[in-house]
Amino acid sequence: MAPISIRGLTKRYGNLLAVNNLNLEGVEGEILGFLGLNGAGKTTTIRILLDLLRPNSGSAFILGHDCQTDGLHARLNIGYLPGEMGVYSDLTGREVLDLLAGLSGHAINKARRGELQERLEFPTSDLRRRLREYSTGMKRKLGLIQAFQADPQLLILDEPTEGLDPLMQESFYQLLVDVKQRGRTVFMSSHVLSEVDRVCDRIALVRKGELVLLSGVEELRKLAARPVRVSFADEVQAPAGLPAGAEVIETSPRSWRLTVEGPLGPLLHAIAALPVRDIEIAEARLEDVILKYYRDGKA
Amino acid sequence: MRGAGLLFAYSLKRVRTLTLTTGLLLAALQLVLIFVAGSIQTSGGFDQLSALLPPFARELLGPSVATFMSFSGIVCLGYFELAVMGALIALAVTLATIPASEVEIGFMDLILARPLARHWIITRTIAVTTVVSALMLALMVAGTWTGLRLFAPKGIAWPSATLVNSLAINLGMLTLCWGGVAMAIGAASRRRSVAGGAAGLLALATFLLDYIARLWQPAEKIAWLSPFRYYNPFDLITGSPLPLKNLAVLGAITLTGFAAAYVLFARRDISH
Repeated sequence: MAPISIRGLTKRYGNLLAVNNLNLEGVEGEILGFLGLNGAGKTTTIRILLDLLRPNSGSAFILGHDCQTDGLHARLNIGYLPGEMGVYSDLTGREVLDLLAGLSGHAINKARRGELQERLEFPTSDLRRRLREYSTGMKRKLGLIQAFQADPQLLILDEPTEGLDPLMQESFYQLLVDVKQRGRTVFMSSHVLSEVDRVCDRIALVRKGELVLLSGVEELRKLAARPVRVSFADEVQAPAGLPAGAEVIETSPRSWRLTVEGPLGPLLHAIAALPVRDIEIAEARLEDVILKYYRDGKA
Repeated sequence: MRGAGLLFAYSLKRVRTLTLTTGLLLAALQLVLIFVAGSIQTSGGFDQLSALLPPFARELLGPSVATFMSFSGIVCLGYFELAVMGALIALAVTLATIPASEVEIGFMDLILARPLARHWIITRTIAVTTVVSALMLALMVAGTWTGLRLFAPKGIAWPSATLVNSLAINLGMLTLCWGGVAMAIGAASRRRSVAGGAAGLLALATFLLDYIARLWQPAEKIAWLSPFRYYNPFDLITGSPLPLKNLAVLGAITLTGFAAAYVLFARRDISH
């Protein structure tokens, strides 16, 4: 059963088309990155999954339950981290966690909460403080604890590392690895492409409310152009008649800087007759592909 | 159901300071009024005040004025004094617009991301508004009886328990009525200030309508639109029984407001 299934989802705000005929299927046990620029429709989609917003057409399912007609069952096994932790500032951290745990419909394992606190370096003494005394990072940690504490089957995280320092980001990534190993599914929106590259198994990219890319991270990386630097023992002519997929960035008499999309064989064949001294091939950057989609809607 | 109970307890806990402070102030006001009424009674001031009232004013205010200018009348003033009514209605509006506040700050996202049906949000709000309003009136009634025991001059007739309870019940229904109106507006709002402001302005407008209609005959035609028309403390003080029709009208407005809140909140988009 797909943890998330979105079929023909459309949501309008007046004349603004926020989500347009979106189709998306999650796979159990994966970390699915949900990417897009501001206003692309990421948060709207997440809010429809939580039945906070009602779509104009189409449907969304969580763990086989329709989010609109069977929302209670759909939300029974999810943990949600909103983009902003909107909580009354006069509450203590513990009050927030206890209330949200009580509303989750599951008994909360205190040991699990304690483990999360330890991993995110959130001492119990901080739970006794009121939220008005919390920094942005502390609120984010509290948000992560409330989302993870019931150990749900599906985690829906909206910009989870926003406001976390690099050390906490590292702890969060480890946390994701752990929940994934336990077979949980994570659906997370993010702006941080390096983070997506590191933790996600697949990427769904939306642009102006439409899904423009759904791909595995590894497959996507293969689409990225790899930077290649060729050094020569003697001076050579500027490159001519390079194979398709190779693009010259910069040339000098003894070196060329190129990018190569796809296999490297044709390029190596093309320069085989030249006095090559060295070839440096850097790893393809996922960001380059994604940025193209951001700009053009296609790679 | 357990989740709704938790939410109710949490909401009560959050408003406990506001509730207790308002309740104690209202109860203290009853004590002060009774102390003042006792002092006037002891000094024979009610007779002098009555004699000072010009005939046109006596005619304008009707036969209830004589009853009002008495120890019992002043004791009962605590149930229809403008500040008291304003405080109770403001409290009811504040509580009834809790959902709008939760939507505004984003807390509603966290609540409704759990397996909790939307109707529990409104049910919780109705329960909080009703319990707190009832507590306010209970504290006022307790203040009245405590004040009478402490400050009433010996031998003076106290207002009957029926009268005090009738005033409290009718005032309570008026308070809940505005809670219902505010809840309906708040259920469709993203900002508590907008919902509370709209309900407050509506209350002020209908209060003025009722007030003007009592002085200006042409306004009487539309005065039935004002909920304040269905709370006539002077009639109760002059011995009229608690008018069930008035209670029914206020109850109907309240229930309509609650029903509208359920429908509007169930259908709306939650976005802040």
